[in-house]
Amino acid sequence: MVLEGPVVDIKVTVSKTLEATLRAEKKDIPNPIPVKAMIDTGATFSVIQVGLAKKLGLNPIGTATAQTPSTSTTGVQAYKYNLALFFPNLVTVEVNAVEMPLKGQNIQCLVGRDVLSLGVLVYTGYINQFTFTL
Amino acid sequence: MTKILEVELVTYEKNRDDLIGKAEGKYVLIKGSEIAGIFDTEGDTTRMGYQKFGNVPFLVKQIVKVEVPVYFTSNLIQI
Repeated sequence: MVLEGPVVDIKVTVSKTLEATLRAEKKDIPNPIPVKAMIDTGATFSVIQVGLAKKLGLNPIGTATAQTPSTSTTGVQAYKYNLALFFPNLVTVEVNAVEMPLKGQNIQCLVGRDVLSLGVLVYTGYINQFTFTL
Repeated sequence: MTKILEVELVTYEKNRDDLIGKAEGKYVLIKGSEIAGIFDTEGDTTRMGYQKFGNVPFLVKQIVKVEVPVYFTSNLIQI
């Protein structure tokens, strides 16, 4: 965990509301996409890799001005998408995640404080474990 | 960058002062040049957006006097 960070395998899919809309329109429900996600206490919102929203057939429902280590103080505009994150143990959280390019470590999702604010995160470094309870 | 939702964002700006006067802190649903409703939570606004418009772009925005950027500290984000 020291090298990789708190990483968890999750799935990203459409929210229940959108699923109901797609069913009413008699359209196919996209399959959940498995991704490697990192728990990120430094992220205001959860982040998804560019391209994931398109694979799920999602349309943006908002924008956010994002400031990151590589942007100037004015920040950059990024789209927000309504989606669901499937965690292990059948836990599902619906969020409005921000789409931004993620590079390195094969991480396709950052789980931000929008999700963390719903539960308890315990990082037990000396036994290389973390738990996140919702 | 913003081509999608550009019209909706312009609609918000045009109506911003009025929205702040009426419903600061709440969430507005906008599609094109239409203010489609004001709701208490982001979730309610999103749900109404899907019910009313389907799976198309629409704007869910909190009505605030000052727009605050969102922060990300991860170096994995490469913009």
